[in-house]
Amino acid sequence: MKKVLVVDDSLSVARQLEKILSESGDFSCVGHAKNGAEAIKMNHAENPDIICMDMNMPGMDGLTALRSLVVLDKEVKVVMVTSLGGVGDKFAEALKLGAKNVISKPFEADTVLNVLRAL
Amino acid sequence: MAVKFFGQYLIEHDLVTSEAVLRAIELQERTNLKLGEMAVAMGLITTRDIETAHAAQYSRDMKLGDLLVELGMLTPVQLQDVIEHQKATHIYIGEALVKVGALTPEKLEQYLDEFKADQAQYIAERVDLPPWLNTDKALWEATVDLTYKMITRVIGIQFRPGKFEEVSKISASHLIAAMDLSGDVAARYLLSVSEGVAKAIARAVLKEDDVENEPEEIIEDTVMEFVNIVCGNVVAKASQSGLLLEIAPPVTIKPQANGLPVPDGYRAVVFPIHVSDGETMEMAIFVKGA
Repeated sequence: MKKVLVVDDSLSVARQLEKILSESGDFSCVGHAKNGAEAIKMNHAENPDIICMDMNMPGMDGLTALRSLVVLDKEVKVVMVTSLGGVGDKFAEALKLGAKNVISKPFEADTVLNVLRAL
Repeated sequence: MAVKFFGQYLIEHDLVTSEAVLRAIELQERTNLKLGEMAVAMGLITTRDIETAHAAQYSRDMKLGDLLVELGMLTPVQLQDVIEHQKATHIYIGEALVKVGALTPEKLEQYLDEFKADQAQYIAERVDLPPWLNTDKALWEATVDLTYKMITRVIGIQFRPGKFEEVSKISASHLIAAMDLSGDVAARYLLSVSEGVAKAIARAVLKEDDVENEPEEIIEDTVMEFVNIVCGNVVAKASQSGLLLEIAPPVTIKPQANGLPVPDGYRAVVFPIHVSDGETMEMAIFVKGA
């Protein structure tokens, strides 16, 4: 079972993702960070295989956190889950910084699971 | 189920790899020159001229091209020539994917048709707007229309759009969630909902049949998330026509009994969204300097 850290300032998105992950049987959610800085701390503490991270968060945003995470942890795979996924420039920046994929909101459970299983 | 970028659609449907999309994006960045770079490449101005114009942009709210004309570095005819050269040499992500060998021209054509069919649901329909929103008409039409589309797709409730009304305040309701848009426009998007509508949004976002025992914090969060989804998709739609916008994280506002006044320097329009009896929903757009 792969460990996933959810990073989103929205409690409801975190709940949605946790539900999708726990019902999949393939993934377990190891925690919920509310911004980029918390994500970096929780990545160190929980050592997840995958991070599902929002872009637009108060405090440290997702792309800033991504820049640090890929340097600090060469193993972790980061997928951005964001309402800004359809913005070409943001999408390109996320891939360039090392994100494995970008999922747009609103998302469906199948899309999330297909992307995570393909990692 | 969202406004997408073609490269993203291809990866999501496992038609190309993210590595191939990245190679194509890098090729685009090497090939597609910015306006200033193109003017330099055409020998019309120097890199020092661009630095001067960029420095002037800090104090002037003007596009680089218009500023280069105002500073006497380009004539209006030369500016038009630069823009036309930019368009003529611009390569799109699909062409770039063919050039890096990730797609054949035939597959590109097929996938583009499939992508257009997928995204057809997000083509904004005509919406009545006040004349002062005509400057960025396509953006505001997309904002209003995407709100309607997301109410149907995400919340799944029946509604009837009402006629817009210019206002100096938003009437009091249970909850207002708002998000600031910045960049090529300065505006605030607001969604005002009654308690029943807030709970309908919570049921839809949380995918729960019953939210009666959910804390108010969670209900508010789902309304903010709905606003985030609408605004994120608006920004994505706007980016397709070259409008660059940023969004700040959403906030909630508890209006006073006499409503929420429009801040000084902003002009506001409200779009009533008629839902079931006894419940209310309103979308509002505050535009700075309109």
